Amino acid sequence: MDKKRGMFEIWGDIIEIKPLIISIFISVTLTMGAYFLAPPDSRVKQLFFGLMGAVLGFVISAFFIKPKRLITIEESRKG
Amino acid sequence: MNIATIIQMTLAALAAVFIYTFIGFIPGTDETSVLMPITLAVVLAGTPPIATVTFFIAAIVTLSLTNAIPTALVGLPGGVMSSPMLEHSLSLKEKGVSALVIKKMAVGSLIGVIISIPTSLLLANILAPYAKEIQALSSLLFFLGAIFLAIIGRNKIMSLISILPLAILFMALRHLYWGIGIVPKTTNITVSFFLGITIGPLIISLFRLLNRDYREAMARDDVREISIPRDAIEATTLNPLSILNRIEILRASVAAFFANFLFVLSPVGLTILLGEMVANRVEDPIERGYIAITTMSALIQATYISGIIIPLIAIGIPLSPTAIGPGGALFNAPPVLTMDNNLHHRLDRWEFTIAILTGAIIAIIISYYIINRFASRISTFVLQRIPHEAILALFISLIILLAYMDAGLINVFGVLLIGISCGTLNRMGVSYGVQFMTLYAAPWIVENIILL
Repeated sequence: MDKKRGMFEIWGDIIEIKPLIISIFISVTLTMGAYFLAPPDSRVKQLFFGLMGAVLGFVISAFFIKPKRLITIEESRKG
Repeated sequence: MNIATIIQMTLAALAAVFIYTFIGFIPGTDETSVLMPITLAVVLAGTPPIATVTFFIAAIVTLSLTNAIPTALVGLPGGVMSSPMLEHSLSLKEKGVSALVIKKMAVGSLIGVIISIPTSLLLANILAPYAKEIQALSSLLFFLGAIFLAIIGRNKIMSLISILPLAILFMALRHLYWGIGIVPKTTNITVSFFLGITIGPLIISLFRLLNRDYREAMARDDVREISIPRDAIEATTLNPLSILNRIEILRASVAAFFANFLFVLSPVGLTILLGEMVANRVEDPIERGYIAITTMSALIQATYISGIIIPLIAIGIPLSPTAIGPGGALFNAPPVLTMDNNLHHRLDRWEFTIAILTGAIIAIIISYYIINRFASRISTFVLQRIPHEAILALFISLIILLAYMDAGLINVFGVLLIGISCGTLNRMGVSYGVQFMTLYAAPWIVENIILL
């Protein structure tokens, strides 16, 4: 068993420490970066830019990080 | 009511169904954290009030059903509300009947919606004449609500003791911000404090990773193994009456009906209480599981629907856990909505009824169909593609964004302080309900009790 991989259980599922740090960094940077790009006079635009940044960060993280789950498909038994 | 309004409501409902079908399948996504920020964005974007109500109703109806699915399929609760079903779901999954369980969840949800919408509209109309009196007492009611939730909870004394210090924590931060002039004295920061409470337990977990002793206890050697039953394509019936038997329909309906009258109580608490009460009397373990799952699915819908509809239509202040938490932005989202001028004041009863029916009908029909046909495929996709790390990072980004928008960088750390304090209390057994009520009662508590 390779404890060095650094896998931990948080909030009901398993994470790996390095990807978690990278992913938090990407998401926060993009969210706040987008927020500061928005016109400063409009709260709505700021919120929207921020949310878009958060979604973008989520998509990028999801693309590069592999979920720590092993999925098998069961053949259905009649229930 | 013109064509443009109807189109806006339909689009709002479809958007909510699309977004929350996807989110619901992601395990562990807390309802408040996923409903609140998006609803806030919808409100701040200037969406017409009637379409905002439709959006929110469609969102909670969709999310209440889709959150239950991962619980049945893979044994991971989709959100807080589906955690009461976990035990029953796991034992039924072992028997290999997940496909039927999912259908029963869908029908249970359908029953919950059908029963609770007319019931809560009726209750709202009965309570409405007393709205002025109730509003005048709101701060006191929040305080009494905190005490009440503390007393009916599991850790009574600890919860009671924590109310005053928590109130001081919230007001201390507000006074600090007023004192250094980062927000005007007329602004009571609520939204980001609220999310700080919600995300508290996550912050505690992340902090524990920084401590070697705690870290070792949380370490795992292997990835999680998950088996997903294939969608049963041959079982094609969508007729609700052939999926449930009469006893299941009756018990789910009665439980959902009574839940409406208890709309001020915690939805998850009610779901456990009424759901187990109904299921406990059944001898056969499989039938007991079915009844528990069906009834709880109905209860999840009923508690959320009544918790938002009654305060919104009848009172105009968020006097239930659902209204304070996930639906908070419908009551208070400055500068668009404030406690004195929110959706309650902008829409009449007729408009509310139309908006609620449109949202609920569109959401339950689409999600009922999707769940019955594609549950396994969507679940497989989500579990294979969405890493938990990305979800945690998303929550953290959202909270930093909203904290910064409320009161700048200092509030990011202010919210972190709230997260650490409230998360610790939460871990020790002080429920979210007590903490949320305290947040709303804080100005009154400091003025009338602590300074007495």
